Amino acid sequence: MSSRGEAAERPGRWDVDDVQTWGPDKHQLGATIPCAGNSEEVETGGWRSQLPVIDQAKCSGCMLCYFYCPDASIIIADGKAVGIDMKHCKGCGICAKECPDRAIVMTTEEKD
Amino acid sequence: MADVRKRQPKVCDYYTSEDGFSPGVAFCSGCVLELNLRFISRVLGPDIIFVGTPSCSAPVLHGQNTMAWHKHAYYACTMTGVASSATGLSRYYEKAGIDATVVCHTGDGCAQDVGFQTLSGAAERNEKMIYVCYDNEGYMNTGIQQSSATPFGASTSTTPTGRASKGKTTGSKNMPMVMAMHEIPYVATATLSHLEDYAKKLVKAKEAAKRGFVYLHVFAPCVPGWKIATDASIQVCRDAVKTNYFPLWEAEDGVFRITQKVKDVKPVEALTSTVGKFKHLKPEQVAILQGQVDQRFRMLQALCAGSAAVEAPAE
Repeated sequence: MSSRGEAAERPGRWDVDDVQTWGPDKHQLGATIPCAGNSEEVETGGWRSQLPVIDQAKCSGCMLCYFYCPDASIIIADGKAVGIDMKHCKGCGICAKECPDRAIVMTTEEKD
Repeated sequence: MADVRKRQPKVCDYYTSEDGFSPGVAFCSGCVLELNLRFISRVLGPDIIFVGTPSCSAPVLHGQNTMAWHKHAYYACTMTGVASSATGLSRYYEKAGIDATVVCHTGDGCAQDVGFQTLSGAAERNEKMIYVCYDNEGYMNTGIQQSSATPFGASTSTTPTGRASKGKTTGSKNMPMVMAMHEIPYVATATLSHLEDYAKKLVKAKEAAKRGFVYLHVFAPCVPGWKIATDASIQVCRDAVKTNYFPLWEAEDGVFRITQKVKDVKPVEALTSTVGKFKHLKPEQVAILQGQVDQRFRMLQALCAGSAAVEAPAE
């Protein structure tokens, strides 16, 4: 339990970029997970249809968006919300709904 | 008013470590269960061992495909054997002199129906562990079937609404009270809208788990199962507290205390009108639900008054 946060440096990390094309010879026997916490490579942000946009001027630094975000996708700097982790934000809109200053609004995201 | 809002919230004061769960967890958008797990991890710190079971929390705790979703120690077992498996772990760590807290994390189906026997047994033996039950009022993972936590009138796939059926006909099991009657060191109810309250209870739970069994009942709405909007789950938690549908209380060594006293209690309709699984309820059905909610709250108030009176002469 002392090796928290060192997942990226751990040896034996798999290159799973082409996992969709793997055959039975490439897959290891059993459901082996190469290292802890590697789900950060999963782009749950692709599910999003609504995009939160932060108005920095309105943010009072209550950090409620950070506490309530189920995906831990609010980026905080100096006690204020400064950005969204676009790779993982699912666009649920809890941050916008719970913001007492209405500093976050949900906008329709346009994708190519 | 503005000053009150701008005060730095104290929730982060309770955080003892960074998030043990990595981003990219493939739960439904707006699921408070994910928030619940992250919150437990942040408050209790790295030295915890999760014990889980097939449920919605199973993929996040087991990992899925080639992805692990957290950096904690975890033991997966059957639904019937959660509390008994955790007993073995907790006794081992105590014998080996390792300072670690065993945290069982199961849904209401496991805690109240399938795994109730081992849970009750572990509570009776007063094993040193924390048992967290996230109550989404049904078997949401397998397709929204009713469980003994499903409230009166709720629409599920096994108690549907239509001409013949009008939702569940009986009320839910008052599980936190059942566990409080086991006379264990600490029982509490919590929800994700009142995070400071929840954090205090988790800190108390960690201390109490050194003495014996701790049961935490967490109210966690399910977005697809309850037919609510993805951004509404925190608001539903808040409404449940404001209507006394889910009062926040704790029982510390048999002394009951309401931790969030609600000043202007709203009628339960404030909750049922916003949740899709209650949308079909007619006024007379809402009245029955209101009666059950009031009855439970009166009993809780009586227990609070009664247990405090018992303690008073000792001072």
